[in-house]
This record gives sequence, C-alpha cells and structure tokens, in this order.
Amino acid sequence: MATYILRRIVSTIAVMAMVGVFVFLLLRLAPGDPAAIIAGDAATPQMIAGIRESLGLSDPLPVQFVRWVLSILGGDFGTSILTGRPVLQLISQRLEPTVSLAISTMILSVTFGMIFGILAAWRVGGLVDHLLTAFAALGFSVPVFVVGYFLIYWFAMIVHLLPVQGYIPIDRGLGAWLVHLILPTMTLSVPFIAFIARITRASMLEVLSEDYIRTAVAKGASSYSILFRHALKNASVPILTVIGISFAYLIAGVVITEAVFNIPGVGRLVVDAINNRDYPIIQGVLILVSGLYVFINLAVDLAYTLVDPRIRY
Amino acid sequence: MTISRRDLAKAGLAAGATASIPSVLRAQTAPTDVQTVRMVMESDLRVFDPVWTTATITANHALAIYDTLFSLDSQFKPQPQMVGKWSISDDKRTYTFQLRDGLGWHHGTPVTAADCVASIRRWAQVDTGGQLIMARIKDISKKDDKTFTITLKEPLGVLIDMLAKVGSPFIMREKDANRPATEQVSANIGSGPFKFNHALAKPGVSFTYDRNEKYVPRNEPADGFAGGKIVKVERVIWENISDAQTAFAALQAGEVDFLQTVPFDLLPTLEGNSKVTVQVLDKTGNDRYMRMNFLQKPFDNVKARQAMLHLIDQEAFMRATVPNEKYWNTVTSLFGNNTPYSNDENTGWFKKGGDPEKAKLLLKEAGYKGEKVVILDPTNVTIAHNSAQLLAAMLRKIGVNAELASSDWGGVVTRRANKGPVDEGGWSIFISSNSGFEDSDPIGNIALAANGEKAWYGWPKSDEYEALRAKWVDVETLEERQSLARKMQAEWWDFVGSVQVGQIFTPSARNSKLIGLISMPGLIPMWNMRKV
Repeated sequence: MATYILRRIVSTIAVMAMVGVFVFLLLRLAPGDPAAIIAGDAATPQMIAGIRESLGLSDPLPVQFVRWVLSILGGDFGTSILTGRPVLQLISQRLEPTVSLAISTMILSVTFGMIFGILAAWRVGGLVDHLLTAFAALGFSVPVFVVGYFLIYWFAMIVHLLPVQGYIPIDRGLGAWLVHLILPTMTLSVPFIAFIARITRASMLEVLSEDYIRTAVAKGASSYSILFRHALKNASVPILTVIGISFAYLIAGVVITEAVFNIPGVGRLVVDAINNRDYPIIQGVLILVSGLYVFINLAVDLAYTLVDPRIRY
Repeated sequence: MTISRRDLAKAGLAAGATASIPSVLRAQTAPTDVQTVRMVMESDLRVFDPVWTTATITANHALAIYDTLFSLDSQFKPQPQMVGKWSISDDKRTYTFQLRDGLGWHHGTPVTAADCVASIRRWAQVDTGGQLIMARIKDISKKDDKTFTITLKEPLGVLIDMLAKVGSPFIMREKDANRPATEQVSANIGSGPFKFNHALAKPGVSFTYDRNEKYVPRNEPADGFAGGKIVKVERVIWENISDAQTAFAALQAGEVDFLQTVPFDLLPTLEGNSKVTVQVLDKTGNDRYMRMNFLQKPFDNVKARQAMLHLIDQEAFMRATVPNEKYWNTVTSLFGNNTPYSNDENTGWFKKGGDPEKAKLLLKEAGYKGEKVVILDPTNVTIAHNSAQLLAAMLRKIGVNAELASSDWGGVVTRRANKGPVDEGGWSIFISSNSGFEDSDPIGNIALAANGEKAWYGWPKSDEYEALRAKWVDVETLEERQSLARKMQAEWWDFVGSVQVGQIFTPSARNSKLIGLISMPGLIPMWNMRKV
C-alpha cells in the first residue's frame, strides 16, 4: 500500500510538470497580448511596447520558460501581471469561497443523490422511481446558469428570502456565510444530485437482484437492513467512482456558478485571468487544480479498499 | 403508526426554527446604509495607474483619489481645480500657476509645485496632448512650494485645454511621478476627494473608497468635473459583478445602488419600477466607427473605403445592436453630434449610406478581386460582436469575401496591431468606439490622427488632413476652430479615415434614492451624490 501511494505521489508530480509545460506553451501560443490589454483601447503602440518590455514579455520564450520554471522550483508561482500581487496570495484569498461552495455542493449532492437513487431502486417502476428519474433527466438537461437565474428570481427577487449575489467569509458570521451559500449550492448541486442518483439507482438495482439479497428478504430482514447494510455497501464502488469524477466536473460548474452568484472564488479568478491574459495566475491555478484532481483520484482509489476488502494495492 | 410526545416536541422545534428562518435571512439581505454607495462600474479595476493604461475604469479610479490642475465644467470649458491663481505672459509663452491653499496628500503632507511638475512630465510621456506640450516646452519648473511655470518656445493655444481634458494629468506625489511611465504606480495615494482603502481592497472582488475628510473643496458649486468636489457619503464601494444579469438583479433587490451600464435587453423589465431610475449620464453618447486597414488590400485603395461609406446603413446597424430607438442616433460628423465642432461638411454624398449597388461599383473600380476581408469579431463584447456579424453579412451580399475572425476582446487588441496581410495574421476591419466628447478633440483622440504608420490601428494617411490638424493647437478662438474643423472633416471624408456606424447612449441605472450624480462624458464623478 505504502509503495502504491508513493508511486502515485511521484506520478502526481510528473502530471503537474506536464500540465505546467503544456499550459505555458498553450498560453504563449494563443492570441492575446497582456501589454495591449493593460494599456487600454486608446494606447499607442509605443506605450504597449514599453509595458511589454517592463513586464519581461518581450524576452524570448525559452528565457521566459526557464525563468518561470526556476521560480516554481523555488516555491514562487510568480506575480500577477496586472496587479503585481503574488499568485499564491491571490489564489489563497480565493480558496475559501470555492472550497465552501465545493464542499457544500458535494455534501448536498451525495446526500440527496444517494437517497434519491436508493429510493428509486427500492421502488423501481413505481411513482417515486418515475418522479426521480424525471428529475434526474431534468437535472442533467438544464444548464447550471438557468437554474441559478431561476433560483435568484424566486428566492431573491420574488420572495426576498435570500441574497442575489455575493459571498461573506465564514469568520464574519456563520449565518451570513450560510445564507450566501444556499442558492449557489442548490444551483450547482442539481446536476450532481441527478448524476449520483442515476448511478446509485443503477448500482443498487444490480445488487438488489443478487441471490444473497433474496436470501435476506426470505429470512425476513427489514428493508432498512437490506438497503443499507447489505445492498448499499456492495453498490458503493461505482458510486465512489462517480463522486470522484464529479469533483472534476465540479471545477467546471464552480466557474459558472461563481459568475452567476458573484462569488469571488478561484473559478472567477481564472476566468478574469484568461480574459486579461494574466499568464502567471492561469498557470498557477491550473497546476494546483491538476494536482488536486490527481490527489482526489488517489483518495478515491484508496477508499475502494475500505468498502471492498477484495481490492488490494 | 403512533406519535410520541418526544416526536411531537421535535416537530415543534423544527417548525419553529423553520418559521424563524425568513426573518434571519432577510436580515442578511438588508440594503446598504445611506452613507455607503455600492456601485457596479463598467468593468473591473485591474490597473491603478492612469498613466500606465488608458482604460476608462482606471481614469475613474484616478478621478476619485487624485486631483487635477484644471477640470472641464458642464459646458466643457476649462476651469481651475487645484490651481488657485494663474497667469499668461504678454508674449503668451510663459504660464504661471499657483496652487490653492489646503491641498494635501492622503497621508498628510502638503501638495507641492514639484509634485505637479513631475506629474506633468510623466503624463506627457504617453499622452498625445502631453507630448504636444513637451514638444513646445522650453522649461517647466517650480518657483516655490506652491508655484510653477511652463515656458514655451512658441505660444500654444490649447495648453490649458490639454491640462483640463478628460484624462488630463492626475497629480501624483513626486516620488510616484518620478517612476517611468512604463512602470505601474500602485501606491494609490492622491490628494483627491476620496481615499483608497487599502485594507479593504479585494482585487477582482471589490474596492473601497472612503471620503477624504481633510479634502478642501473649491468654493464654487460642483459643475461637471469642475467646481467644489463635496463628498456627501462616507464610503463608496465598487463591486465587481461580472455577470450583467446578476448585477441587474442585485440592483433591483437593493444590494447595489448603481450600475454604470445596463444591457439594453433588460431595460423593459424596469418599466413601472419606481425603485430604480434609468439615466443616460454621458449625453455626448458613444460614437461607434469601423477602422479599415490602410496598409493592405482592398482598403489601401480610397475607392474601397468610399464603398464602405456608401454601404453602411447606420440605422440598420443601430437597430441590430440597440433595440430601443431612444438610445441611438446616426452620426455623420467626424466631430460627433452636439459637440462644439459638429458640422455637415462633405457629408452630402454618403449621408444616408445603405447603397449596396454604389458600394459594389466602387469596389470594382478599386480593383477588388475577391481578396479575403477579415473582420475582427470580439465575441465577448455584445454590441461589437453583433455589428461585426451584420457587417460580414452586408459585405457578403455585395460579393465581398468577408470572414469573421472571432476571439475575445483580448484577441482583438492583439491582432489589430498586426500590420501584415490577412494570411499572415493581419486584418481588414475592426469596430471600435469612443465617447462623443472625445471626437471634439483631434489632438487628444488618437483615432483622429492620419499620420500613416504612426497613427492608431488602421494607420490612415493623409498629409493634407495632418497639415490641417497641426494647426489646431495654435488656433485660439472657437470660431476659428469651428472653421478648421469643417476643413478637416472635408478632407477626412475624402480619404475616408474611418466609417461611422452610429451613436449609442449607454443607460445607467440607479437606486432612485441615490441622487446628485454628475452627468459628464466618459467618467463618473463620485462627489456630490448622496442617498436619501
């Protein structure tokens, strides 16, 4: 197990290095000049050239690349081209809203997704199953931003129950923090609840058709015992996989949700950076996100051993 | 099934908690207090230095925290602002400026003449008006702590206009102004009516400006950018809400007080809403125009450019981009509508546009043989994107091989600098805009230059026009400038330096309780406004 974990950590570093090189080249080859964006619409070419020079953007690409790699190796992700602030500081300032949104979304999604999936499997072919299947189809089909605007309209504009936008850090009050997270979490959770519910239903149906479940029923085991003690545990491996994959999709969903609800998270940071061609921020965020993604996959792989003793590394 | 007392108690507690939630939540969504104004500006503030960038949002930031020597009043006439007394020598070559009493930096030290001299020098490194002053200048130096002089080699009629124009030198501390113009000043310490709150600055999220309690305003009432800058609220917060729909909802819910721009398609939903007021603050509008690449085919030929004047039907363009007729107009004067220099010289032959047959004929005369015409299309700027698509359709209709080069705005600003042919990453047409007021300034507005490869993107060239433009700085009276403007316009429409697409009046929306906003072109002064 320890060897396996070590091997995966080494591969994580390799993945992050490859992502770094790829992102660096992709950004430099894509159209867009940070100096022209900084200088503004009415700037003269001389003004743009001066800014480009002062930012070191007129250096040859290999020089810029080596400079960047050396600084990364020294633990320095560089400074934002526009604001001049350290990239790591900017990312760390934006982590709390994104992590809050991601965790609350996963909690809500896993809880309701599994409950809905189990219920649908338990009452397969019944009204509950049909309703939940319809919800799952809808949850997949409707774009996140439409759900977001719909919830804003009802809960903020009509009922005046929740705020339209913004984020309050948790240290400024648990209530305010929670209130500002409700609509974004509901919005972002919809597709994930649908996704997890469908996989849970399918996985549970497969397990519920096994002989040992029939035996348990014949022995008079309660529904609770059959569903949660016998079936769910054995249906967990595909569900865990889906939860792991959901984290990757979550990153994409967070970008949209943060924009709709004006949440100052990492998603908005990177979108703004892309619009402004703020290379150091884009590079820093993508490297960290790729590392996080690989780490989550590792955690999911290790979790398999907990729910299925047959799996060993 | 039976219900125990314990279950009943649990249910009661849950119901009570649920019932109390709405009031708790409402408390969290309460509108801002009367001493704080929350504004959503047209874009996010990314650069703090108004010399390092020409971005309007940075100029708005500078207008809040810095002060200027002169400012334009509501009639666009220069008025002294930081300057108390000033005089011109009899030979019109020496200007003496004395700072008024009470001017101080946000950290407490007084503003000096040396600060002003350094600020003018730094600004003049990048601003076309400033460069003009520097070309004529013999000496600029301080005489004492509050007095400095500008001595010219020869008289310069527009000197005060240059020091007063929108985006004129914002006066910085000498130590900041001594930095090269290519390095950003981000200390954000000025002497203006607002102080930048560094502790609450959250890049990409919000910036906070506090009233400068030590600011000494002029005695005159506020008038445009001029007069007494009396701040009537304690704090202004710029919220960066990138999604227009969300910003609009936030205004309606009372979470913000002001949106600098409102998407036209959302305006009808405000009808009958007395809590929100829609207002056009820039009465000179926003003139939209297309730039053609003078260096490449087919627009290196004047007949091809004239073809565009005949082709463009401004009304069709405006209808396609602005649904409400209240917010657009056509414009045929090079100097915009309703500016001191608007005129109709040499506009009769193309005035209505929308003549594709004539355009087709002129293109043929220009020797157009189906070369690719690349239109830069910024897909994230709605109006420009719609205009580019319409233009491509119009060109294709008359047999032009038009191709849209779609990217975000960042891609457009990079590609438009390419002077090469289209198959080497160049371009043929892009659509841009500036405040109508800027169109009355042929020196400060670089889009009105036609000095070839030194000109703005498109690189229009006309020696005759440039000879006339060079006279602008020496003409002193309004009548003389108006006469010169007619001559310049006659030339411009002959060689077709650009083609106008229409004029748009961008509406702002505000909480009806927010009053006293000053209506001026380009920038949003934050003094004088208050909440009732």
